[in-house]
Amino acid sequence: MSFFGFDSTLPRDRGHNTRAPGFSQAADPFAGPRPEDDDDALDFEDTYDGLGDQLDETDDVFNDDTFGDDAGPVTKKPVGKDFDFFGQTAKVSDAINEEQLRFSRQAPSSRGPPTTSTFPQPLPKPARTGYERYQEPDYVPDMQVDANLWGVAPKRPAQASDFGSPMNPGIPSGARKMMSLEEVEASMRAQAKKPAQPQQPIQQQQSAPQQYTQPPQQQYHDYPPQHQQQQFSQPQQLPFQSSGPPREEARPAHVGQPHQPVQIMQRSQPTPNQPIAPTAPSQPTQILQNPNRYSAEQRRSAPAVQHPVQHPVHQSRPSGSRHIITHPQQLANLSDEERAAFLMEDAKRAKRNHKIFLLSKDNGLMTPQDKNFITRIQLQQLVTATGNPNEHGSDPSLSEDFYYQVHNQIRGGPRQHPGQPLSNFAQTYLFQTGGRHGGMRRQARGGDNHMQRMEQQVQRAVEAAKNKPKNKQLVIEGSLGKISFSNAKTPKPLLNIKRTDSAADAHRPSKAHQVGVSGSDRKTVLTDIENVYSTLMQLEDHERLMPPPLDNDDINPELAGFHIDWREKEEKLNRKLWRDLKVHEPIGATTTHPFIAFLSFSKGKKCIPRVFRHITQEQRTTILTIIVIHLDQLDVVRQGLLQPGEVQLNSATRENIELFSLAVMHTLFGYLNEAGLDIVTGLLGLILNINIDVIARTRIGVSMLTMLLSRAELIKQAGSNEREWDQWVGIYNAFFDALEPTLPNIFPGTVNTGEDVYVWQFLAAIGIGASPEQQQRLVMAVKDRVMETVAHAKTLPTAMSGQRLANVNLFMRSIGLDVELLA
Amino acid sequence: MEHLNLHDNEMPPPQQGGAQTPMQQMQPLGPGMLPPPSSQQLPPQMFTTAAQLLDLTDTNLVLQSTIERIFVAPSSANGPGLYADVNRGIFLVRGENVLLLGEIDLDKDDDEPPGYERADVETVHRLQKEQKAKDARREKIVKRRLGELGFEGENAGEALI
Amino acid sequence: MLFFSFFKTLVDHEVTVELKNDIQIKGTLKSVDQYLNIKLDDIQVVEELKYPHLSSVKNVFIRGSVVRYVHLPGGAVDTALLEDATRREAAQQAQKTK
Repeated sequence: MSFFGFDSTLPRDRGHNTRAPGFSQAADPFAGPRPEDDDDALDFEDTYDGLGDQLDETDDVFNDDTFGDDAGPVTKKPVGKDFDFFGQTAKVSDAINEEQLRFSRQAPSSRGPPTTSTFPQPLPKPARTGYERYQEPDYVPDMQVDANLWGVAPKRPAQASDFGSPMNPGIPSGARKMMSLEEVEASMRAQAKKPAQPQQPIQQQQSAPQQYTQPPQQQYHDYPPQHQQQQFSQPQQLPFQSSGPPREEARPAHVGQPHQPVQIMQRSQPTPNQPIAPTAPSQPTQILQNPNRYSAEQRRSAPAVQHPVQHPVHQSRPSGSRHIITHPQQLANLSDEERAAFLMEDAKRAKRNHKIFLLSKDNGLMTPQDKNFITRIQLQQLVTATGNPNEHGSDPSLSEDFYYQVHNQIRGGPRQHPGQPLSNFAQTYLFQTGGRHGGMRRQARGGDNHMQRMEQQVQRAVEAAKNKPKNKQLVIEGSLGKISFSNAKTPKPLLNIKRTDSAADAHRPSKAHQVGVSGSDRKTVLTDIENVYSTLMQLEDHERLMPPPLDNDDINPELAGFHIDWREKEEKLNRKLWRDLKVHEPIGATTTHPFIAFLSFSKGKKCIPRVFRHITQEQRTTILTIIVIHLDQLDVVRQGLLQPGEVQLNSATRENIELFSLAVMHTLFGYLNEAGLDIVTGLLGLILNINIDVIARTRIGVSMLTMLLSRAELIKQAGSNEREWDQWVGIYNAFFDALEPTLPNIFPGTVNTGEDVYVWQFLAAIGIGASPEQQQRLVMAVKDRVMETVAHAKTLPTAMSGQRLANVNLFMRSIGLDVELLA
Repeated sequence: MEHLNLHDNEMPPPQQGGAQTPMQQMQPLGPGMLPPPSSQQLPPQMFTTAAQLLDLTDTNLVLQSTIERIFVAPSSANGPGLYADVNRGIFLVRGENVLLLGEIDLDKDDDEPPGYERADVETVHRLQKEQKAKDARREKIVKRRLGELGFEGENAGEALI
Repeated sequence: MLFFSFFKTLVDHEVTVELKNDIQIKGTLKSVDQYLNIKLDDIQVVEELKYPHLSSVKNVFIRGSVVRYVHLPGGAVDTALLEDATRREAAQQAQKTK
């Protein structure tokens, strides 16, 4: 990653407008290195006319005389009711006493902190509330309850805190930290009515000047209630703007952009009343130079950077105070237990405040400049680490941060750059994972999905087949009871004799330990797989570079050229992928076909869906054919056979089968659904050449057969040409004969395991296409299992029992029967 | 456990305000580590490469009013675990030795560590010493046995402890 | 950068960080930087009786170099994507050394 491409000379470092007074006091540690802010800063400095420097601030003390303004900002003109969105509050606000309490509570909270340190700092925990007393030299920390501490004593309203115990009996304790909308409204209304209140002038005098001395940033951090209030009142600024500067002066930091000219004008007046310059020592220049900048900054930086720090502070505040006690009298009314609890709570709080005080003596150890310095280093490192933010989504940053960026796309994380061309990537993995839910869940889900689709297909076939006229004779209960073993046992071994059988058996013992690939092959195969992946990624990258679609009317030769180049490259990559897949290696040249070996690794299986997105229909057919020809050699088939005595496959094999089913079968299923009957017939014909006995006893084998049979049935129902259909029937008959001896053994495990859904689906798929005679043979072959399952279902809870019966019924209905007839 | 001492100290200035980003241990908390910037603004060349930044900032810490908390694990012989706080004063710590920094929860800080009771420093110190001696003896035996089995080297006993 | 990229996706997830001195700290991952320094919130030490040292600490900043393991929340990891990210990184590195 190059650091050198980064413009390290931020505008602020390039030298400053030396005329700007107090720039050296710049204290906002987050002001400097924010690249987005630079534009603002530049603009302003370019355009600033320096009028602010000429402010005459002498005789400020006469402001009141000039403007007749004897009140602080809080008792300005009536605020009006147009903010009263909360209807109920209007009624509440009539309760004057409560208002008064609220006001008295809110007013102290809006006063500035006594500035104890030389550096105003944006710390979350400055020495400000409740523990000022500790600074008195003669003060001995009193751990006992002291109601004064919580602001009841009128002589020290300064210590009333929004931090410690609440003061109003009527206000829930939750309101301590942040005023709700209603409260804000209520207090604003209360202020509007203030002139009627007798004590109010005192408070005005107290609060007004203090607010001026409060650094805005601090204001924000320390006084969430006030901040909220200010924000809330912001929309009200416009009406007040015209009414003159007094309102303005209370909120210098919140002047919105549209008002800027007005403010500059105001400022250039030699109004002695202008308190802006002396007000906020920590922020003066930014405000003077560019008021928008500060507010914009505050908006940006505050939630992003400050909150995480402040958050724990909120959390760790004593939360258990159930009793809100503002007066010793109330304490007397409590039960002993409650009182003890309260005292304890209170002592804890005091202790805590004391601790904060002790720690606060180190506040300001770092100067704002120090912090600024640190912040810059941090941000610089961030930039170095994450790259230029403007580069996000571009190729270099993508390759550095691939996982994060794509992960964010997939999981719906915050997308900083909505336009970034990542959707293709996200698509790739979404496609692969089959949904927005990744991780462990998706395999199971995907698997289910596949099963469901398969079941649906079989069901559709069954439904359609049911509409055909049936041989009524079969719908006789007794037909199930008629067992003729000679018939069921009629062996038709013509196609069953197969050399591969013994060959496969011969291989198995030697290779049973793993996937059927010897050690030296293993490395080769793994390398092959990695090659496929790397080509796939190239293809996926290439896909993102696809030029915009050609306009039909206006042929842009340049664009057309891009398209030609692009397609050439794509074809090249496709050929490379095809070579990497080794599908065309000669069959039988090696013990295991390279592509089949490829599929014996889980990552080989996993890449199939992605491969299918980038290959042609013809290539897909080839892959399906290769898989069908080698069906009995697939690891999931060879290892998927239950050995005599086994009830369940081991978990590794089951996982393997699950993965194959999800990744490979699912993909093939999708392809086959578009294939014609000729292909289906051809594939079933290929299966006749391999060991059907092995295939039919494994889940993957059965799935493949179900897939073909049900597809054929659907094609037939959709209408197919006679000749093709006759071909299919011929193959089907041969297949049925080959399968019949295996039928009684195709169920995995015992009835109890209940993992035989796929077999019932399979049987249903056979049943639909079978002739009446074949159906009879079918029934006889699996009759025992049907009976067992029905009997077993009776012992199960309703839901499970229903499921089992439904499975059986899928088959039963395919041959025109129903389990209910058995009951 | 001797590596843990650092964060047992109550850090005098816990978490300076806005320091949310991941370089807290590099805050120049005391004088002398960085030449105090003579001007308010740093020359731009100070912000060129990360390597340079590291040279500048991978620095040391000065901790004042440090407290080391020592523990003796609970055991059948001694009953519950014991702890004691020892005032240590000023520490100068090389930045690279910092394992972690933690912010102390002021409320939790009032509670004793679960399963531990405060005891006087001498007791805890004595017990800790005994425990260490015991561990050392055991380790020696383990090492010897391992040595007899053919395990050599400094790390021989480590795996078991 | 892969680890950094990876850990960034785990922000706000609960992880357990095992240090080289055997302490395991469970907490919410709040941030991570390119040194794999880690910040955890609301921490809890596994086997607190054995390691009481952090009993009153609520959040920690851990130097990346002292981390032995990070125990991941499985559900938050996209393995297929991670595999590809690894391949990309490997390809990139191979290209760089050329």
